[in-house]
Amino acid sequence: MANQGPAYYSPYPTATYEGNITPPEGKALLLEDVVDEEVAMRECARVMLTSENATIFPGPQVLYGWNEEAKKKATLIKEIAEVLEAKMIPMYDYRPKYPKIDPEVEINPNHPNLTIWHNNIKAAIFVGVHCHYANVALKIVRSETDCYTIAICGLSGHEDAMATLRDQHTEELARFIEIAKEVKAELGK
Amino acid sequence: MALDIYKVNPEFRDIMPKEIIDLEENATWAQNQEKPRGIKELPETKELLEEHSLCAGCPEAATLRYVLSALPKPEETVIVNSTGCTSLMFPHIALHTVHSLFGNQNAVASGIKRVLEWRFPDKQKDVVVLAGDGATVDIGLDYTLQSFFRQEKITTICFDNEVYANTGGQESGMTAKGQVFKMAPTGKKFDKVPMWELAKTSGCHYSVNMTGSAPKAVAKAVREAILVAREIGPTYLNIYTPCILEIGLSANEGLGEMKAGDKHRFEFYKHVSPEAEEYLKKCKKEGIL
Amino acid sequence: MSKITDMTKTHNWSGQKLVSIEHMLFEAPRTKHFMTGSEVLKEAVKRATVDASVSYPITPQSEAAHLIGELWAEGYVGVYFRGENEFGVMSEVAGCSMAGARTVTTTSGPGTLRAMENFAMWSGTRAPMQLCLMARGINSPLSIQPDNLEVQYLLETGCMIWYAENVQELFDMSLAAFTVAEQPDVHVPIITAVDGFFVSHTREAVELPDDDIALQPYNPYAAPLPPIDSEMPPGRFLRDPFVMKSNYISYATHASWQWEIRSAVERSKPYARKLLNGLVHTSGNLDAEIAFVACGTASNQAKEGQRELEKLGIKSKVIKLRTIRPFPEEELIKELDGIKHVFVPEFNVVGWLANEVKAKLYGKVDVNIHAGPKVAGGMSLPAEAIIQEVMEVVNPGKGA
Repeated sequence: MANQGPAYYSPYPTATYEGNITPPEGKALLLEDVVDEEVAMRECARVMLTSENATIFPGPQVLYGWNEEAKKKATLIKEIAEVLEAKMIPMYDYRPKYPKIDPEVEINPNHPNLTIWHNNIKAAIFVGVHCHYANVALKIVRSETDCYTIAICGLSGHEDAMATLRDQHTEELARFIEIAKEVKAELGK
Repeated sequence: MALDIYKVNPEFRDIMPKEIIDLEENATWAQNQEKPRGIKELPETKELLEEHSLCAGCPEAATLRYVLSALPKPEETVIVNSTGCTSLMFPHIALHTVHSLFGNQNAVASGIKRVLEWRFPDKQKDVVVLAGDGATVDIGLDYTLQSFFRQEKITTICFDNEVYANTGGQESGMTAKGQVFKMAPTGKKFDKVPMWELAKTSGCHYSVNMTGSAPKAVAKAVREAILVAREIGPTYLNIYTPCILEIGLSANEGLGEMKAGDKHRFEFYKHVSPEAEEYLKKCKKEGIL
Repeated sequence: MSKITDMTKTHNWSGQKLVSIEHMLFEAPRTKHFMTGSEVLKEAVKRATVDASVSYPITPQSEAAHLIGELWAEGYVGVYFRGENEFGVMSEVAGCSMAGARTVTTTSGPGTLRAMENFAMWSGTRAPMQLCLMARGINSPLSIQPDNLEVQYLLETGCMIWYAENVQELFDMSLAAFTVAEQPDVHVPIITAVDGFFVSHTREAVELPDDDIALQPYNPYAAPLPPIDSEMPPGRFLRDPFVMKSNYISYATHASWQWEIRSAVERSKPYARKLLNGLVHTSGNLDAEIAFVACGTASNQAKEGQRELEKLGIKSKVIKLRTIRPFPEEELIKELDGIKHVFVPEFNVVGWLANEVKAKLYGKVDVNIHAGPKVAGGMSLPAEAIIQEVMEVVNPGKGA
């Protein structure tokens, strides 16, 4: 089943206590290594293209058209999903739904593992999710599932994801699309 | 614009659940209305409360729905809650809301209101407190009254069920004298605290004591209270929303209990200061009441 | 009063030129002044584009709190009022910060304890306010004198805790504090502690940059949670909900959330290192076998002890910890290379700093850690007491 945290039920392994923190400006984090952004982008594309049920989880910052950047990002993310042939399941808000969410159609930071288990997702991109809730979700996913997580962050990045890109705005998302297309061609897809 | 935060980008419309699309298209936001929002739209439009896990027939749940339908400008309203049964509904309200500790709701609301006025001097943002009687009158009395002394421009709504229901039914300051509840096994020894009168003497410009039996009356009081708080000063609504569980009633008996309250213990009380009265007249003329 | 709309891209609402924190701390020319800790806090807040502050009287922080009020009257601070008691004040500060304001407040001793419930709520809700703590004794018995036992109570609230040694350090730290606390991957409250009276009321020579420059304003939209202002999605957002109503949620979310807060404090290290010029500062004989590990005024006294010991032919070094949370474990281990004895002088009976040092270093270094000397209730830590403690260990029975 899932990889379980060291104490099996709680608490979760946190990357900071294993010496990993958010990558410095201009770089990205791939597992425990600080790497160039392009290296990480390539690996993220490769993982998404070669994993079962690869899914993108867009969050509130890109789902709603609250400013021009959000609207542009929405278009780019849709294109990313098409290039990576990934499904999209929204994290449209952060409320704890009682008793539980419908894991078929939504993901929620309070129990992201349910969506990942139900849909058998082996690789996922979190984008447009507020950092606090992304981190809460990523720790749970890391500890409870074997899903490869990728965090595309507009701010400092997320060390609890297997791969994280930081300071990602529309320019960077566009570049990711180009790199994803290259990787896709290389893989003969 | 505040309403843009509900507008789903076209690229994602097909993966969003219907209730989120409904919130954008079918909810009664003030921006889209020509007349003030109210109870009449409830049956046909999308409500701001998505769901709740309270007891079937809970008067608090019903009254919250009336309150939400009556907010003059929900897209610019922040509601501050405090621990209690209402807290179970708050995650499901489609607004920016806060649940802090227990009893500090008026303090948190004071900070929020002042900062929103500072950060958005040209916008009207309403701050409303919604908490139970334990939070308002016992553990939070200090902060509730002090926010009135300071003339904070917020509306305080107390869902008065005369008991600490969420923790299993303990006596509260708002319990009637003689009532037997937990921690008062031989009955409460002192009178119900007349919070609506304390509100008046502490500086509220509008103070009401009522029950949740009539949706339109609740909506009217909420609207008036929030409008007065915008310009004049703090306002207070005490609404009897009995805990049917703790007083041994069944799901369909809550309404009857409130109606009985209308006639006796919760006979309608309303205090409006002269300035508030003037202002409400002005609002009525302008069609926002 | 000022209006926030008076702020432009280059100047804030009181007409001060907006500069980077690096310019403010390292590049701007400075002039000499002679002032107390309370006065210097006013000078820091004046240069920090602060939106809000809430105050309440308690010795010895009342002066700092009322001086911030003067800044509000002069138009530097946007929102200011006196709260009803410290619990109320800290909740009001929480509201201010949640609504998107750069917020600062102060308290001491019994006030801290009165407000206690708020601090874990502050960190849990990722609000980056600054609390300047002017440590004084906690009852009973009552003492307004310096004693930092209260810091022990704050250690596990999830807030960052920095400790300033003197008036100059308080100025620089409180400016750096806003910047570090507001980093999106940190974004937790920061407590800048000083010893009451020794720092708050003692006049010292300090170097300050001109007051016509100020820090960039806080951006609440570059934050790990949306501010409560109805301007950022999701439209449905409650800060912070019960997470325990469902077994599918509870333990996982709660544990993960709590770990996230502690991770946030860890993430502050690179920023703090840069802006504080290191999480620790070492002085004295760098080739010594004896080290003092201290914070705040105690490090000042340890430095005097070090100078006196040197005259007696005994080498020692002083390792001053600038940050308590995050605990500078790496730096401390490095500085203890070659050390045989560690002394932890403190202004409290418990010896909480010694406990911290022992706990963090357990199994990692081979040193003897002596918790002392400890004084309490406002007593100063004379060099003689430090020397005596050291001699008892290195020269038992023979005295100085």
